[in-house]
Amino acid sequence: MLDNFKNYIQNHSDITDEQFLEISHYLKSKSIKKGEFVLRHGEVCGYSFFVSKGLLRSYTIDEQGKEHIIQFAPEDWIIVDRSSYFFNEPSELFIDAVEDTALVMLNEDFITHACNISTVYRAFNHKALHSHIRHLQKRVNLLLGATAEQRYLDFIKLYPELTLRLPQWMIASYLGLTPESLSRVRKELARRNFKPH
Amino acid sequence: MKTKSIEHIFTPPAPHMVGDGFRVHNFIPGSYGLSMQRMSPFIMLDYNSKFYFPPTDKPRGVSVHPHRGFETVTIAYKGKVAHHDSAGNSGIIGEGDVQWMTAASGVLHKEYHEQEFSKAGGDFQMVQLWVNLPAKDKMSKPKYQEITKENIQKYALDNDAGTIEVISGAYQDTPGAASTFTPVHLQNAKLNTGGKAKFSFPAHYNTALLVVEGSIKVNDEKTVATDNFLLFKNEGEDFTLEALEQSVVLILSGEPILEPIAAHGPFVMNTREEIIQAFEDVNLGKFGYLE
Repeated sequence: MLDNFKNYIQNHSDITDEQFLEISHYLKSKSIKKGEFVLRHGEVCGYSFFVSKGLLRSYTIDEQGKEHIIQFAPEDWIIVDRSSYFFNEPSELFIDAVEDTALVMLNEDFITHACNISTVYRAFNHKALHSHIRHLQKRVNLLLGATAEQRYLDFIKLYPELTLRLPQWMIASYLGLTPESLSRVRKELARRNFKPH
Repeated sequence: MKTKSIEHIFTPPAPHMVGDGFRVHNFIPGSYGLSMQRMSPFIMLDYNSKFYFPPTDKPRGVSVHPHRGFETVTIAYKGKVAHHDSAGNSGIIGEGDVQWMTAASGVLHKEYHEQEFSKAGGDFQMVQLWVNLPAKDKMSKPKYQEITKENIQKYALDNDAGTIEVISGAYQDTPGAASTFTPVHLQNAKLNTGGKAKFSFPAHYNTALLVVEGSIKVNDEKTVATDNFLLFKNEGEDFTLEALEQSVVLILSGEPILEPIAAHGPFVMNTREEIIQAFEDVNLGKFGYLE
């Protein structure tokens, strides 16, 4: 399980095998079944979760009991409630497994030590934060003003293979659409693009 | 001609569910190292060994999913399957029937236990095989060959040994019912107790067999039990089967397609770029739409 994470971190930094070994004792790995939680509303999020294999999602549940999906994390993605993690606040999110998942848990000590060892990693980590903010800003903008089709096209660009792994209602929830509207968007795209032989 | 020697006999790996309707042992590519390259043109083999599904009002199966770049061959031994696709095709296959779907450039389809079968419940036993397509045919037009048991020619073996049902390729001078893009022999040997049959395929063809029912002796040498899968070496041409009881054996032999393979989930292409393209096309509705 750690191998995938090691590849990931070495792809984004100059951390050597020896250095990785040195800081790897700050890491924990875990396997969870579909439907199991790694974070529940009200808990403090002590880790960032790196997905080695499988698929996690973060979401909130509103007063009507409806789920709103914030993020999906397939292989090589990191998912975390940053506000809870950095400000030590009870989380508003749930994070659970959409598929059976193997994950690596990163605590703050790991990040601190990795940043101390490698300035390349420090820069990567800094950039990742800003990429995340850019992504969230775009997402807010799409949710406020874009058509259903624009939101779906943005989704398939970000997560090209997830359409085959997720039920329609989860994609709809992520996009802030009803499953019926998403179904209309996909039907309409097929009407324009499907060329029967 | 030399005897085709046995490489290994594999017991069925632990089953897993495909959707909620298919409880399968995956032999190819699976955990035994029967890779797509080693077994080409057979790139996937899921075997639903005989399994009782209790009655239900909601048919079990696999919901909408795409395929591109190969053919899916479903051989029904017990039970019935219904399918629908994004081009508007649908059909039902039952015991003894074969559906040979050339997904090629792409279809969206779903497969479910047929309604009446679901309501009644019963034994279910199927093979689903993926047969690769050569690069030049990967983006050809999708098509179906619905092969009912009546349309599968049977070769009667001497001495009341049994029959060979020729799904594709040929047995002696009996031609197979399905047309194929590259040489693929797919045959069901239905042998009576003590019945013997001889087969001959070129040494370089990848050749294997699955004992669907009963038990057999291969080359007077090794006994193969129900649900076991035997792989031949790429040496020699001829092999013999002898049924130790009433047996049904699926024989597979095909000319390997010596081209690069890039595979991801339901797409089997030649390059990574083609896989990325397949995801893009399916997301943009180029495979059509199916509820």
